[in-house]
Amino acid sequence: MSQALFSLRGVVKRFEQREALNLERLDLEAGVITVVEGPNGAGKTTLLSLLALISPPDRGRLFFDGHELPRSGSQLTAWRRQITLVAQQAYLFETSVDKNVAYGLRLRGMDRATREERVAQALEQVGLAGFGPRRARRLSGGEMQRVALARALVLRPRALLLDEPFANLDPASAQVFERVLGELPGQGCAVVLVSHALEQAHRLAQRVVYLREGRLVPEDGHRPGA
Amino acid sequence: MDFFLGGLTRGLGLLVNLDPEVYGIAWLSLRVSLSAVILAALAAVPLGLVIGQKEFVGKRFLVVLFNTLLALPTVVVGLVVYGLLSYHGPLGGLGLLYTPGAMVVAQAVLAFPLITALVIAAVITLDNRVGPTALTLGATPLQAAWAVLKEARFAVLAALAAGFGRVITEVGAAIMVGGNIRHYTRTFTTAIALETSKGEFAQGMALGFFLLVVALAVNLASHQLQARWK
Repeated sequence: MSQALFSLRGVVKRFEQREALNLERLDLEAGVITVVEGPNGAGKTTLLSLLALISPPDRGRLFFDGHELPRSGSQLTAWRRQITLVAQQAYLFETSVDKNVAYGLRLRGMDRATREERVAQALEQVGLAGFGPRRARRLSGGEMQRVALARALVLRPRALLLDEPFANLDPASAQVFERVLGELPGQGCAVVLVSHALEQAHRLAQRVVYLREGRLVPEDGHRPGA
Repeated sequence: MDFFLGGLTRGLGLLVNLDPEVYGIAWLSLRVSLSAVILAALAAVPLGLVIGQKEFVGKRFLVVLFNTLLALPTVVVGLVVYGLLSYHGPLGGLGLLYTPGAMVVAQAVLAFPLITALVIAAVITLDNRVGPTALTLGATPLQAAWAVLKEARFAVLAALAAGFGRVITEVGAAIMVGGNIRHYTRTFTTAIALETSKGEFAQGMALGFFLLVVALAVNLASHQLQARWK
């Protein structure tokens, strides 16, 4: 088994009085595609927000690459920059495709030439070469999700989190997602995805984690590499 | 009808003949109102952003308060600022009363609730995924707030234009704290009030026409800026 990139210990997340997540122990490895399954309201999206470091736990400890993460503060941004999330209906900024994809690179202070090169590579990777100057918000739903994927890939994250990546995708876009995600474990990236598209998710999954009412269900298991 | 046509003709005359007094009034009006909007925006935009984005106890009250302050009468603002800046007032030592600086302060107070209320509305109605998206792409909380502001830029610019419209057309506060001193604190609106009180209706109309031309120029510039940002 690969080394754990994320380690959660006694993590609890509440929304008002309701306990959305309660994980005694969960490890997620680098270079593995983990699919998180469970019924609606099981805490899957809450888990992704927690792993993306945009919603701190109310209790418990979260480790990334062996380091315990703070709940807030300036250091959190440095850790967050190693992880990225593609939301179910990703928000694209009201600008061009290439500026959307370059956004995270600009935040990291990357020079323009390298930015342009990496943006072009990422767009090609998701089958959108030449889409750079187009208005991002005027693309089809599938193309917009592919821009969101390119915007995540361009950052070369150590962990890529995806919330329902196959929902509402046209077959061509779904194929692109499946191909690109399949390549990531080989590059050492931890992929964690929540999906109801079980057939596609299971084709990719090297590990499946089941959640019910915010808790892990014992049938969590590893599958042969996809 | 002659009254309006006469005013319009004289207004065009003032515009074309480069009347130094009228251009002085135009320049002061523009300077005071733009400074007031900038000053108000420095506080109103971040405040509107925070109120619009964050959830906290008392948020609804603040939103209602700022909406109520939209109806703030200009003479009341003038009176309060006069009280603050007058010789015996707490800020009397600044010596601002009857200066363009006093007019900037009064107009900034007037513009502040309007810009704040409109920025709050712009941020509240903006897609709530903007901030979290920026964070997941590596933004600091400040950079994420900037991303929200950028996405709401058209509405924020409209809020600034509305603030400018409110202050360049007000007369109550400007006359109370500026004093309508010729060549020093006389703006379009205070000059119009003066001309009307003297029975010089056509001259008042002419100045009103000129004021509209200036407001149109500022709004055209704002529109150009919006077009460039698209």
